[in-house]
Amino acid sequence: MTPLLTPEPAFGRAGLAAVAGLLIVWEILGRLQLTIFVPSASTVAAAWWELLTNGTLARSAGSSLLSLAKGFVPAAALGVALGLAMGRFRTLREVLDGWINALMSAPLSALVPVLIALFGLGDTVVAATVFLFSFFVIVVNTTTGVRGTERSLVDMARSYGAGEAALFARIYLPAALPAILLGLRLGAVQAVKGMVVGEMLISLIGMGERLIYYGNTFLIPELYAVIVSVLLVALLCATVVQACERALVRWK
Amino acid sequence: MTEPVGIAIERVSKRFAAVQALVDIDIQVKAGEFLALIGPSGCGKTTLLKCIAGLVAADGGRIVVGSRTVTGPGGREASLVFQDFALLPWATARENAEFGLLLRGAPATERAAAARHALAKVGLAGSFEDAYPSQLSGGMQQRVGLARALAVNPQVLLMDEPFASIDEQTRRILQDDLLRLWSQERKTVVLVTHSMEEAIYLSDRVVVLSPRPGRVHRVLDVPLPRPREALDVRAGAEFARLVDELWQILKKMQ
Repeated sequence: MTPLLTPEPAFGRAGLAAVAGLLIVWEILGRLQLTIFVPSASTVAAAWWELLTNGTLARSAGSSLLSLAKGFVPAAALGVALGLAMGRFRTLREVLDGWINALMSAPLSALVPVLIALFGLGDTVVAATVFLFSFFVIVVNTTTGVRGTERSLVDMARSYGAGEAALFARIYLPAALPAILLGLRLGAVQAVKGMVVGEMLISLIGMGERLIYYGNTFLIPELYAVIVSVLLVALLCATVVQACERALVRWK
Repeated sequence: MTEPVGIAIERVSKRFAAVQALVDIDIQVKAGEFLALIGPSGCGKTTLLKCIAGLVAADGGRIVVGSRTVTGPGGREASLVFQDFALLPWATARENAEFGLLLRGAPATERAAAARHALAKVGLAGSFEDAYPSQLSGGMQQRVGLARALAVNPQVLLMDEPFASIDEQTRRILQDDLLRLWSQERKTVVLVTHSMEEAIYLSDRVVVLSPRPGRVHRVLDVPLPRPREALDVRAGAEFARLVDELWQILKKMQ
């Protein structure tokens, strides 16, 4: 049986060609000097290089990535744990399902002022925002994965005497693993969004602070350079999780 | 080799919410017998098999496998074989064949030896051992399922439409292989099937269940000579007559 979905890199050959095309169009538009808000790609690249070499990017990205890790790691651990429990226990699912789904689609940026009131202005708020942005999608995917376990696999394991612990470790967890990893990948991308939103709203630290600063001071090439850097961080996170997927789910 | 044991099914009933699935089922399966359960869909034949396996608790009556009264799943006398094979997609053929022993806490060396032996019995020795189920054909997947069931050396095989999702050609080969294994291993077999030919070809007796509620409608003896896989029994007139007799019973029940 050949699976319909074979693993693909984030950018295939056509994707790379499209990126190259976009850069060319961008360069031309920039050179036409229609507005200061569209600087040419080469100007942005030069600004990016400047920010990279003078340490600005490393400083702000370092702070951002630390907040990202502080928010995403607990979100992943707790999200998977709660998702497993919700997948397995119907009562828990009935109590929490509505909340999880509502919060997953809610505009969570609205909660950031509350977080600021709770944690003060600092990286804890960013970490908390990262957590909120990524937690729910991880929970939902894990729950779905557990619920999708083949009934006959459970029957089979029980017929050989598997208790609840063995069922969890040997059936539910491995059966849910592809869905869990998909949840983590989507969660990682959400986490980067949370990071930027949190930092922009408190506008004191990290790449979000740089975005606000360059935006307010009309340093447009620098602004674009930071945006591109954020995209690269998101792409990097998704790629890391995807590499884990490939290593852990070899049987597909 | 272990001695085969019988199964006593006494006044077993089962109700699912509004549906009476089984009523007063009485069947005595003799030690070493090959018994088929057949009936229209919804007659509760799979439910009865799950009751014997302890996966479904009967509401009334009792089931005794060998000398043990069934109270829940995990009994060591019987192994199940599933219609959809129930293989772990993330495990290789050998790991799947070892899985029953793994759950029963057998040490790794014993597991590996038993799994290899069982895979050889079902004709899957060698290069297929490291294949994942998705890399195997349906027939080969069910061979792995059978190897897993045999690896724990049970006295009873409980088979739930094991060949239903396998193509006709492969099915006939698997049926012959099953008969050969059964005569070598001397196990008691309860086979749920919806195929009249399969029931007649494989079994010593066919129990016909009626639908909603499931009751024992008729028991048909199959006095065909053995070894049937060697005697080309399918081509004989007696085989055709028995299949037709079974068909007449099933037809009148509709």
